[in-house]
Amino acid sequence: MNVEITDLTRRFGRNLAVAGVSLETGPGVFGLLGPNGAGKTTLLRMMATVIPPSTGRLRLLGRDPGSYGPRREVRRRLGYLPQNLGYYPGFTVAEFVEYFALLKEMPSARVPAAVATAVERVDLGGRARAKLRTLSGGMLRRVGIAQAIVNEPELLLLDEPTAGLDPEQRVHFRALLRDLGQRATVVVSTHLVEDVGAACSQVALMDQGTIVFHGTPDELTARGTEQGTGDAPLERGYTAVLAAARS
Amino acid sequence: MTAARAAGAQEHSAPAALRPEAARRGAGAAALGSGRLLRLELRRNAMLWLLPVVFALFWYNGYREIMALPPMWNLRAMTLQNRLLFDLAIPVTAAAAWMGSREGRRGITDLVTGTARPRWSRQLAAWAATTAWAEAGCLACVAVVYLVTARQASWGGPLWWPAVVSVAGVPMLTAIGFAAGAWFPGRFVTPMVTVVVFFGLAFGTQAASGDHSYWQVSPLTAGAFDIGAAPGVASFYPYLPDLSIAQVMFTAGLVIAVLGALGIPGARMRWLAAVITAAGLAAAGTAVALAGTGRLDPHGMIVIPALHDSAGHQPVRYTPACSRTPVPVCVHPAYATFLPAVTAAVAPELTEFAGLPGAPARISQVAAVYRQEPGNGISVSGGGTSPAEFALPDEVPGRLGTTGAEFAAQLDEGLGLQLASDMILGGGDGTQSAAGPSQAQLAVIAGSVRFPPSVQSRDLAPMYGRLLPQPGSPADRAARRFAALSPAARHAWLAGHLAALRSGRLSLAQLP
Repeated sequence: MNVEITDLTRRFGRNLAVAGVSLETGPGVFGLLGPNGAGKTTLLRMMATVIPPSTGRLRLLGRDPGSYGPRREVRRRLGYLPQNLGYYPGFTVAEFVEYFALLKEMPSARVPAAVATAVERVDLGGRARAKLRTLSGGMLRRVGIAQAIVNEPELLLLDEPTAGLDPEQRVHFRALLRDLGQRATVVVSTHLVEDVGAACSQVALMDQGTIVFHGTPDELTARGTEQGTGDAPLERGYTAVLAAARS
Repeated sequence: MTAARAAGAQEHSAPAALRPEAARRGAGAAALGSGRLLRLELRRNAMLWLLPVVFALFWYNGYREIMALPPMWNLRAMTLQNRLLFDLAIPVTAAAAWMGSREGRRGITDLVTGTARPRWSRQLAAWAATTAWAEAGCLACVAVVYLVTARQASWGGPLWWPAVVSVAGVPMLTAIGFAAGAWFPGRFVTPMVTVVVFFGLAFGTQAASGDHSYWQVSPLTAGAFDIGAAPGVASFYPYLPDLSIAQVMFTAGLVIAVLGALGIPGARMRWLAAVITAAGLAAAGTAVALAGTGRLDPHGMIVIPALHDSAGHQPVRYTPACSRTPVPVCVHPAYATFLPAVTAAVAPELTEFAGLPGAPARISQVAAVYRQEPGNGISVSGGGTSPAEFALPDEVPGRLGTTGAEFAAQLDEGLGLQLASDMILGGGDGTQSAAGPSQAQLAVIAGSVRFPPSVQSRDLAPMYGRLLPQPGSPADRAARRFAALSPAARHAWLAGHLAALRSGRLSLAQLP
C-alpha cells in the first residue's frame, strides 16, 4: 500500500477538520469527492506532509512521515498540487518546473529532460520560455500539474486539478491521470464528479471530516436513483450518499 | 470512523520501500543540485534589477564625493568605506527583504513545504543569490574607485581593509533584510526593514563618542570619530587593521547569527541552527567588546590591543617629493600634488632666512600627531621640532569642502608663521625663553611673514601675544616698519642681529 491512513484527525483550534479517517490505497487513480468544508484539502495537506496530523497513523510509500529522514524520502517521491497554486511571476514555465525538480532533490543530470517531459505532458511545450505572469489561469494550473509530476512521483496528490481548465484540456488531463495511475498512486480531490467517473478507479466521498463512502465510481453511481438530485448518474449517486450520511 | 480498502489497485502495488533508492545521492550530486538551484535563483533575483539603482545612488552620493578628494589612497579608501555601505543599504536591504518574503507573499508556502529540500537550504540559496548580486555591485563600485585612484595617485597602493569591511557588510544587509522578509512576509516589511536598517546605520555612525566607543564597530566607521578619513592617517605609518578586523568580525557574526536563526524553525536542524546563532552572536558581541577597548594612536588610527600587531608602528619607507628651490621643500610622496602650494607658501620666508644661523638647508614634512581629547574631540598637532620640519594640515582641498584657496591660506598661516617663529624664537634648540617671546621678537616674526589677503585677522587672533603682536601695539607698528623693508634689507639686518634677537636682548627701538 502506498497510502495507509488509520484514524487520522486534524484539528484547527476548536474545529475538527478531519475526524478519524482510515484509508488504504495502492497505485491507481483515487478520487476524493465531497462538498466544501468536508476536509478534503486538509486530508491532502496531511498526505503531502505539509501539516502533521493531530492524532492517528499515517504511512506513505511504506514510511512514517512523522520522522525527518523518512519524511524527506517521501517528499522526494511525492507530487503535490495545492488548491491555490502560488507561483513566481518572473519565472518562466520551464524555470518554475525546474525549481521544483531541484527542491524535490532530483538528480541534477536528470532535471533538464524531466522538466521538458513534464512541460510537454501538460501541453505547454510551446510556452516553456513564457513568463508565468503572461499565462492564463488554465495554463497556470497546467504548470502546477507539471511541477507536481516532474519527479515522476510515486504518490501524486492533486487538489482541484481541473479548476480553470477548458473542456479540451480536461479531457487531455484525464488521459494523463489514467497514464500516471498505471505506475503511481494518484489522489485527486475534486468537486467535479465527471472527472472522477472518467479517470478514477476508486472513489471516496468525504463529509464533515469523515469518509462516508468508499468504492468504485460504478458503485457510487448505483447509490443514486432516477428521482435523485443531479444531472448525471454519478452526481445522483453523490447526492444520495451525502443525503444518507446526513440523515 | 470509516475504513476503506482500495482492493482494485492491488495488481499495481509494488511496495515503494523495495524500489531502488534513486534519491540517495552522494554529496557531489547534492552540490550539483544546489549549484543549479543557485543558478536559477541568480537568474530570477530582485537584486539583479536593483543594480542600476545601486550604481546610481553610489555615483550620486559616494563616487562624486570620493573623486572630489585628492588622489590619496588613504583618503579615498576610507571615504569609500564610509559611503559605500550607506549607499547600498536601501536597494540591497529592500531586495533581500523582497526575496525573503517571496514565499509568503506569493502563497507558495504549501507547495514548497511538501518538497524534500529543507526550508533552510532553500532559503540559503535565495539569500546567497541576492548576496552574490549585491556583492557584485559592491565590488564594481570598489573597483571603479580603486582603478581611477590607481591612475591618479602619486604614491602608494590600494588600502584593502576598508574595501574588505564594505564587502563584509553586504551580507549583513542581505541577511537582515532576508530574515525580516522570511519571518514577516508581507508587502510592507520591505519598506519597513529598509528604513530601519538605513537609520540604524546612520545612527551607528553618529553615536560614537571617543576612541573607546562600542559604536566604532559600525562598518561605516573608517577611523577615529571626528577625523575619519584624513590624509595624515596611514600615510607615514601603515594602515592599522585593528578596527577593520573587529568590524568584519561583527558583520560576519551578525550574518551567521541571522542565518542560523532562519534555520531554528526547522525541527531537525533546530539544535544546529541554535548553536550557529549562538556562535554568531558571540562573535558579534566579542567584536563590539573589542571595539570598546580601542584607543587612538598618535598616527590617527584606532588600536585594539587584543588585535594589534606592533609591527604596524614601523614607519612606511618612502622617497620624498622635493621642490627645486634654493632651500628644498620636501613632502611625503602621497602629498606630491600639494608640493607647489607648500613651496609657494613658505618661499618668501625661506628666501629671507636662507643662510642665516639656524636656518634649515631643507624643510621636510613629518607626520602629524593625533591625540584624543575628552568626548569626541581630537587634537592634531604638527610633529615638527625644528624649523626643518613641518606637518601639513588635514584639511586638504576637496576634504570636508575645503577649497584650494582655503588650503593655501592655511599653509600661509601655518607654515610661514611656524618657520618664522622657529627661526626667531630658536625652535627646538633650547634657546627659546621660558618667559615667552619679547615684543621685538613678535615684531620681527610678524614683519617676516607674508600673510595672503585671504587670512583674516580673526584667524590670527589666537596667536596674538604668543607669536604675533597685538594689533595697534608698538610691536605691531614696528612689525609694519620691518615688513616695509626690502627682503635683502631684512636679510641683512637679521644676519647681524639674529643672535641678539633670539636671546631677547633687543628692544623695539633697536629694530629698523
